Amino acid sequence: MGQLTPDMIMVLVMIGLAIFLFIVEWVRVDVVAILMMVALPLLHLVTPKEAFVGLSSNAVVSIIAVIIIGAGLDKTGMINKLVKPVLAVAGNSTSRIIVAISFTVAIISSFMQNIGAAALFLPAIQRISKMQKIPLSRLLMPVGFSAILGGTITLVGCSPLILLNDLLLPFNLEPFGLFDVTPIGLALLVSGITCFVLLGRFILPQGECQGTEDNEAFCTIDGLEANEAEVNSHYELTTSEDFMDYRDPVRVEDLRRRYLVNVLALTEPPDFKTLSPSPETEIRAGVDLVVCGRQKDVERMALAEEMELKETIDCYSSEFDTSTSGTVEAVVSPRSPFAGLTLAEIRIQDRFRVTPLEIHRQEKTYRADIDSIALQTGDVIRFYGTWKRLKSLHREAGLLFSMPTDLEDMRPEKALWAGGWLVLSLVMIMGFDIQLSVALMTGALGMVITRVINIDEAYQAVDWRTIFLLAGLIPLGIATQKTGTAEWIAGSILSVIGDVSPIVLLTVIGILSTLFTLVISNVGATVLLVPLVVNMAIAANVDPRMAALVVGLATSNSFMLPTHQVNALYMGPGRYRTVDFIKAGSLISVVFLVVMIAMISLIYGI
Amino acid sequence: MPIITISRGSHSMGKAVAEKVAAKLRYYVLSRDLMLKASDKFHVSQQTLLQALHDAPGLKDRYKNTKQIYIAYVRATLLEMVAEDNVVYHGLAGHLLLKGLDHVLKIRIIANLESRVMQKMREEGISQHDARAVILKDDDQRKKWTRKIYNVDPTDNTLYDMVICIDKLSVDDAVEFICGAANTKSFHSTDASLRKTQDLSLACNVKAALVAEFPEVGITCEYGNLLLYATEKTAHNGKFKKLLTSLQQDTPGIFNLEVRSGVPAPLDAV
Repeated sequence: MGQLTPDMIMVLVMIGLAIFLFIVEWVRVDVVAILMMVALPLLHLVTPKEAFVGLSSNAVVSIIAVIIIGAGLDKTGMINKLVKPVLAVAGNSTSRIIVAISFTVAIISSFMQNIGAAALFLPAIQRISKMQKIPLSRLLMPVGFSAILGGTITLVGCSPLILLNDLLLPFNLEPFGLFDVTPIGLALLVSGITCFVLLGRFILPQGECQGTEDNEAFCTIDGLEANEAEVNSHYELTTSEDFMDYRDPVRVEDLRRRYLVNVLALTEPPDFKTLSPSPETEIRAGVDLVVCGRQKDVERMALAEEMELKETIDCYSSEFDTSTSGTVEAVVSPRSPFAGLTLAEIRIQDRFRVTPLEIHRQEKTYRADIDSIALQTGDVIRFYGTWKRLKSLHREAGLLFSMPTDLEDMRPEKALWAGGWLVLSLVMIMGFDIQLSVALMTGALGMVITRVINIDEAYQAVDWRTIFLLAGLIPLGIATQKTGTAEWIAGSILSVIGDVSPIVLLTVIGILSTLFTLVISNVGATVLLVPLVVNMAIAANVDPRMAALVVGLATSNSFMLPTHQVNALYMGPGRYRTVDFIKAGSLISVVFLVVMIAMISLIYGI
Repeated sequence: MPIITISRGSHSMGKAVAEKVAAKLRYYVLSRDLMLKASDKFHVSQQTLLQALHDAPGLKDRYKNTKQIYIAYVRATLLEMVAEDNVVYHGLAGHLLLKGLDHVLKIRIIANLESRVMQKMREEGISQHDARAVILKDDDQRKKWTRKIYNVDPTDNTLYDMVICIDKLSVDDAVEFICGAANTKSFHSTDASLRKTQDLSLACNVKAALVAEFPEVGITCEYGNLLLYATEKTAHNGKFKKLLTSLQQDTPGIFNLEVRSGVPAPLDAV
């Protein structure tokens, strides 16, 4: 083992700083990566050229192309079209539905970002949950985990695997092919789904389904909103003729604040029917209004404000026809511009003329003062509005909706083109041995040229956070390797664990990668660990490619905490608690490690 | 009609003014009864509650939040007692304990130090030196208390609607001024201000129920809809959840109760 040099100490400090910042999240992970990109050349730990080499790396270009291809597939509505045949195959059995959807999501996830596949499928799963009356909590976790596992089926399925070949370059190790990981990924997927099918009743929260008055069934976890009186419904009321006498003006906002009742429609003088009236609208005497709220709150309001509560929706029956307006559950996606803002800051009602009804976060439902809640990824907001207005909200807000398919802005006529370009990319990689980035960018360009997606949409689709995270951490990997720090850490670890068999070493690497990926990003864990484990493997006479592969795969073993983007996204809609992830995720993580090591030893004979 | 709070230093004739105002307006006078009721309700001795409202918090108080706990008990009781309005309160910190209510007429009665010393000497038969020392110490405790608990200076005139110095003005003059102010429209109770009193009372009652174990929780209430601002750790605490469930079931007037975690409580939270 070499001696610790000042440069190595500096690199160790920078690694420590990066890990610390990843954990405490004082700044966003991509900003940490950019900090490394700038600090390392300033400290003369890498050359300026090496500092920015990540931006032009094969991995970064491949990820950009994969994202554009994914966005193109999304635009064609192919994903929604998959739901019907998948359900036809699955029938009515919950287990079969879980298996069918999970496999479909995993296969899609193997060619696009995990979070992209998970987000695309969320509205479809919500629809399936309603149609088949299966609690969402029993569907989402298996499907979310499958989206993560699907990322291990091909080398372009997730960022760590895309990055792997670039990280092997300095060691002159043979790169992995697109489908080299497929048998292992498929085994991981099958084992994960099997766990849910066989043990789902023990490890998943057992929700229940309910139907609202407008026949929209929705499902909840045990005990949460199980009481019918807690369910929001629509009611029509009439204000008295002397409503405006002897009292301060009553506005739409007042009713929401006082009684947690949302006014969905209101007659304004002389006889205009307004849907989703603005919060400042004054409620006049002798007018009809439709509200949404819990029965006990509506009755309390009717009594206190001397309103007549009608038995059915009467004057507004045509406006409340399901073909005109409705209620949707919108999930705040990881890339939504609304994340971090409150509904008041977004001015949601002024801009889109829709009515936010409530916000669900994990197991909690917020009804009071929802305008002041800062939205988080995975939050579910229930909106009422006309389909036209909801469509405009859907287009601009980066929210994931369960909308009627004919209203979504899709280009189904381009489905063949999209599929064709994807296949061409794969043929180029497999049949002609063309570099991954070139082949995938060809597919992405093809989608733009054939107008599956326009170039602005393609630019917007790219998640720059991921790009800079990846590009910024690559120089840290270079510095770790160049200064001999990786070799030194590897030697130190080996001197502690002693002479161990290859399987034990790979298992230790797998556990280490799993732990790292739970607290720092999977990309960060891969960049830091690959140089390290390759050195360890060389020193211990184990195949270094296998050690790197274990890191690439095990950094997807992120099921125990809702820290993975997919878990964070599904947590709100599924009404999961952290303990639900710990329960199911612990089992899946152990199975993952066992199956991965078993498959690697079986296929590569270590 | 309004709630009148009379804040006073010891021997400033504030008690006499309060009693005469109440008699003239036919209001109920509230002072020591508050401690008695709070003591009964929360099973804490009157002396402990008085000390909590009088003495500045020490190190032990800050560590164990005892001051905060007792003040929450007194505030919850006071809010319940003034709910009917037509009350003159001349106890400690009334203007601060009833902060946030619209129909409260906040009066401060002061007197020059020499006449206070004389009054003390007369009442307790002690020397001038001792009387002065006792009064100055008492004033100092009051200042420290309000600074440490509410971060304000009790001698800041902007905290009050009227400050009257009993010197050239007599007690009867002060009573006239106060009754005149009480009859102005600005201090009359309205449906909205009475609703606000009920809401504040509800928030204070919930605070009193939680404060011993979860002192950091901030509470707001509007039309019986309670919002509790807690840390993530508290929000997920089993005992906290259990307490909330029983409060929601047992406390009349609570229509909705939600917990917000990870966000700071608004300034008007109790």
